[in-house]
Amino acid sequence: MKAWSLLLVLLVALPLVVGVVNLPTHDAPDAPIHTGVGVRYLERGVEETGNKNLVTAVLLNYRGFDTFFEVIVIFTALAAVLALPRGSAARPGGFPEEAAHEADGAGGRPAEAAREANGAGVPVSPVVSYVVRLMAPFMAMFALAMLFRGHVTPGGGFQAAAVFAAIFIALGLVLGPARVAELVPDDWRPWLQGAAPLAFALIAAIGWRLTGAFLGFPTDDHTAQEAMGLFLEVGIALGGGVILARLFLEMET
Amino acid sequence: MLLFGLDLDYVLVIVLFCVGLYMLVSKSNLLKKLLGLNVMETAVFAFIVTSGMIEGGDPPILVAGTAAPYASPIPQAMVLTGIVVAVSVTAVALALIVQIHAHFGTIEVDELKELP
Amino acid sequence: MNGGWAEALPWTIVVPMVGAVLTPVVAARRPRWAGAWAWAVLLAASLLASGLVYRLATDGPFAYDVGGWAQPYGIELRFDHFSAWVLPLLLLFVVIVPFSWRYLDHVMPDERRPAFYALLLLNAGGMIGFCVTGDFFNLFVFTEVVSLSSYALVAVGGRGLAAFAALKYLFIGAVSSLLMLFATAQLFALTGSLNMADVAGRLAEVGGGPAVMVAFAAYAVSFMVKTAMFPVHVWLPDAHAIAPSPVSAVLSGMVVKIGIVGMLRVYQVFFAADVLELGAFNQTLVWLGAISIVMGAFFAIFQDDIKLMLAYSTISNIGYIVLGLGLASPYAVIGASVHVFNHALIKATLFLAAGAIIHQTGLRTLSDLRGIARRMPQTSAAMAVGAVSIVGLPPTAGFVCKWYIALGAFESGQAPFGFALVFGALFIFVYYVRMLNAFYFQEPVHDVVLEAEEAPWSMRAPVVVLATLCLVLGVLGGIPLAFVEPAVLDLLPFWGN
Repeated sequence: MKAWSLLLVLLVALPLVVGVVNLPTHDAPDAPIHTGVGVRYLERGVEETGNKNLVTAVLLNYRGFDTFFEVIVIFTALAAVLALPRGSAARPGGFPEEAAHEADGAGGRPAEAAREANGAGVPVSPVVSYVVRLMAPFMAMFALAMLFRGHVTPGGGFQAAAVFAAIFIALGLVLGPARVAELVPDDWRPWLQGAAPLAFALIAAIGWRLTGAFLGFPTDDHTAQEAMGLFLEVGIALGGGVILARLFLEMET
Repeated sequence: MLLFGLDLDYVLVIVLFCVGLYMLVSKSNLLKKLLGLNVMETAVFAFIVTSGMIEGGDPPILVAGTAAPYASPIPQAMVLTGIVVAVSVTAVALALIVQIHAHFGTIEVDELKELP
Repeated sequence: MNGGWAEALPWTIVVPMVGAVLTPVVAARRPRWAGAWAWAVLLAASLLASGLVYRLATDGPFAYDVGGWAQPYGIELRFDHFSAWVLPLLLLFVVIVPFSWRYLDHVMPDERRPAFYALLLLNAGGMIGFCVTGDFFNLFVFTEVVSLSSYALVAVGGRGLAAFAALKYLFIGAVSSLLMLFATAQLFALTGSLNMADVAGRLAEVGGGPAVMVAFAAYAVSFMVKTAMFPVHVWLPDAHAIAPSPVSAVLSGMVVKIGIVGMLRVYQVFFAADVLELGAFNQTLVWLGAISIVMGAFFAIFQDDIKLMLAYSTISNIGYIVLGLGLASPYAVIGASVHVFNHALIKATLFLAAGAIIHQTGLRTLSDLRGIARRMPQTSAAMAVGAVSIVGLPPTAGFVCKWYIALGAFESGQAPFGFALVFGALFIFVYYVRMLNAFYFQEPVHDVVLEAEEAPWSMRAPVVVLATLCLVLGVLGGIPLAFVEPAVLDLLPFWGN
């Protein structure tokens, strides 16, 4: 079995290595990557988009469409986790489709009951608990700093989302998922989860009104551009953070 | 860097990819398989980022401290998107593994195959 | 390039996506509203798609620059004759969704419905995006949206086996997605661009060589996995059989075709660049397609579970399409392209009919479902129509495309493969006769079958509509063929053998 695996891996490795070594040397200044489409981003990126951080410029302005569907992908992950049954209690009286197969049925207990059954999960040392609770506000500040400075320093919406989610997860490990889930009110939850794609859709519509192009940014009005970019970043950070945190909180064994 | 005329960075990336593929294919534990998938994903991201680097380059952030030549911003954006996609796949895979464990009590493929 | 109906291009993708995001909001108080909301969103998207097809039919292919950035500095969306698949895809969804309203009653508790319909909408939106994008990295992102939603949709039914099948699908699918990402990065490293048309132009300057070949091979393998071609088809039977029936219809009918459309897109780029000698590759496709046809049909014969049988039948039919593409002659490619749609229609009919029977009786195997036709005549009739269509007898939808592919085989001098096609059809004939025999002419063995009633109208109507379309499209088969012809003929001068 291991021999077959090794054989398969070698079979895959060979063409990949051949393909990769025949590429133009990657850090030469005349490599196609550096003389291709990227040249215009480097030369005119700052004036066209108002972002000194060109990665943000590419992410939000030039290739914003990609980023739109990237936030849709993370939303898909959440939808997937929510659509899958949690828990394994056999439903009384089973469903016809399951009766024909194995006896341990499907379906899940309602989410609330499952969550109640989980306290803090793992016994936590008071040192860990104290440090996490102490650090949480500083983590939040760091996330906010990354978010709002994302157009001039490395950072941006996704990074901030990751740190926000990390706060939720760390607190969840220490205080228990139930306490942390309360931080996001039930009414707001569906809106917050969808915040990123909805922000994109809104800015796309606004861009359509302002420039006639879907997700178009007005290149001559830097204030509008900054505002739109910031709105997107905030949407990504909020939506992404809530989704990542929810993904963690929904995984229970 | 070049070694025997081969671009060593790229070759190492493929080696990493194959390590991940081997883990995915040969391990019996589902979580280990998932980790193998993650290693493969990391390898592809490393490939993309490496391809965008330039000799003596600075990050593509045009502020006071950086100067030309700049690394290309497009691969960095690709990898950012790629990481989010990889996280999503991992999340769904974990949810499925949790479901399998809840029903069968095991996450070893060898044992799962034995079940009726 | 923007203006008129082209403006609708991005919105056609975004409407289902935003609909999916809003589904939890809409269904917050009443989870059962999610189904109706999903239907409304898909209807709206279909309207937009019809506008797009109208523009295509009157003015020819068109493109749209997202964000107003001139190409190749932004992301380009392009609507050509292959993208027109988007309209029948959406219409199939519009028919399948009402079926799911009652079907899901026995699959999942109400509170999970919003998430289910969100996934379905995301799946639809992702497929639309896949078919209209003109950018390689965008293609990857849409592939991931479709794949992720598919993995989850397989497992919503909740049994452990479903999760296992979904996980197998996930692992294999994720590796193929990684190969696609690798190929995209490889092309980017070679040309410095991600826009499909631009890459074609730059590749022509770069010339051929091992790096270009490996990029093409990586794309090809990735799409082969997605479309479940032999030998990487192993994930399909369990996944499609275990999924809830409306999901099976979507997966077998539409999601597997993503690989075909992807392959066509890659062909377009590499052929326009004209840097690779693709004759050997096409021949490989022909062989693999022929093996898929015969193998899929062969395995289907031995299945007792109807849905497993239908899943293997999908593998067989994908073999037809791939065979047609590999033959690279006008008849074959046109037949293959139209079969993409016809098979989706027929498979949806079969899976929904099977689902209705399973819903009403709780039984899934041929031996258990003997004699069901007496109690569920309309559903069984639909199943019979689907069976006749898929075998390829006139005057049904399946006949025209298979006829064209066979003609293509003889036309391009590869007669043996034409016979493989006929052989496969014979096998298919055998197992569908088995099925119809069991339904119509054998005595029931279970009480549940004796007392079964026809499915509720929300489930019966879609089944009957689809079956009728199978017949209608058999009679009107010329229309889709004529529609696809210009796109295929554009592609073929480069195809070469």
